[in-house]
Amino acid sequence: METSVSITVNGKRHERRIPARMLLVDFLRDELRLTGTHVGCTYEAVCGACTVQLDGRAVKSCMLLAAQVGGHEVRTIEGLEEGGGTLHPLQVSFNKHHALQCGYCTPGILMNIEEFLQVSPNPTETEIRRALVGNICRCTGYSHIIEAVQDAARKLSSSRDQTGSGA
Amino acid sequence: MYPSDIARIVSPRTIADALQELDPVEDAVFLAGGMSLMQAVKSRLIKPDIVVNLNEIEELAGIRSEESGLFIGACTRYVDVAQLVSTTISLAALSDAAKCVGDRQVRNRGTLGGSLCWNYHSACCPCASLVLDAQLTLSSLSESGQRVDRNVAISEFLTGVLETARRPEELLTSIFFPRPAHRSGSAYKKWGLQTDALPVVGVAAAVTLDARGAVISARLAMTGLMNGTQRYPEAEAALVGSRDAGESVAAIDLLKERALVHSDGSASAEYRKHLIGRLARQVIDHAFARATEQD
Repeated sequence: METSVSITVNGKRHERRIPARMLLVDFLRDELRLTGTHVGCTYEAVCGACTVQLDGRAVKSCMLLAAQVGGHEVRTIEGLEEGGGTLHPLQVSFNKHHALQCGYCTPGILMNIEEFLQVSPNPTETEIRRALVGNICRCTGYSHIIEAVQDAARKLSSSRDQTGSGA
Repeated sequence: MYPSDIARIVSPRTIADALQELDPVEDAVFLAGGMSLMQAVKSRLIKPDIVVNLNEIEELAGIRSEESGLFIGACTRYVDVAQLVSTTISLAALSDAAKCVGDRQVRNRGTLGGSLCWNYHSACCPCASLVLDAQLTLSSLSESGQRVDRNVAISEFLTGVLETARRPEELLTSIFFPRPAHRSGSAYKKWGLQTDALPVVGVAAAVTLDARGAVISARLAMTGLMNGTQRYPEAEAALVGSRDAGESVAAIDLLKERALVHSDGSASAEYRKHLIGRLARQVIDHAFARATEQD
């Protein structure tokens, strides 16, 4: 059976008629053609490549029905850049530290870590590794990912101090 | 892994509306965080016609602290339970558990109520809740359409693996954790195949000490075994009178003896027993330490 949805993704509202059983990840990829969010494990929720942010919290979009997120804010990897083509500091760090090879897991990791760094701005290596439990990478062995996250954390911390934001 | 056809998804805004949605319909499921339910739906273990989405009901989430204890809305996310409960040291087993479920994406979405209602054989929050004597409030509609609340002790709520005392027409709305007596401490720890993975074995302990530091009340529970989340009353009795974790050997031996261990791809029966011994020692130590921290 179909249902009508009105879903805000990256600040833009989309109205569609979709099967009630449609998962959010498929809505993003097939309905909205936002194919940056990936399906890495046949929806078993083990790989994390489908991670997006829902109302600012990282969640796996294969675990949500699209019809559940009407009236909420979804942010995907396409919405991570700072606008005008300026990459997010995390994206710059990932590039600089060779933290991606095939890139399949990368959007899910970025959307997870971007939120993680807001909650834990000065994480230890152990905390970063723990934050990545829900994201599988088959290429990199994670070490460059860790370095990129540490690098981005330092950059974001210092720019936060410079602008005087935060208590 | 793909859901079968779903006829309708409804998103009520209040508990009363949610109960109305469920009332006339047979093949409806309540969807909270969905971290367990959606797995069952995607694997077609469950084929719901109607999905009642609970995530729009504001009154179902949140934590209220009273002198008597903490009232936690059933739809409160693990991440929020972990953060807000962590300041109440005596209830630390609950924040220990909520902090280590799955992964951070799961903790951002999964709920305490969902965990208790699902009652998977291998689950952290039911185990921690069991040693903390949680009381569950189940709501339903009377014949005349009035909301009726029923309180059930967690030990009576968790009836078996994937089974609870919740009736089909009932919605779990709130979980109450009584504030333990002075000099109480609790802890939860698990071992799984990866970090934060499903517990192969998880152990929870809660103790209350008297003025001399001896145990006057103990709760011990385990999860991950074939018979699911259980308390072990004989082991609890053996812990009473212990003046430090070092005197807990008898209790730990009883846990190992009474545990329904088995061998499978995750661990041999022998290794499960070994894990029980190690984890039980650690959580009992930790519970003691937290109990005396408040002095």
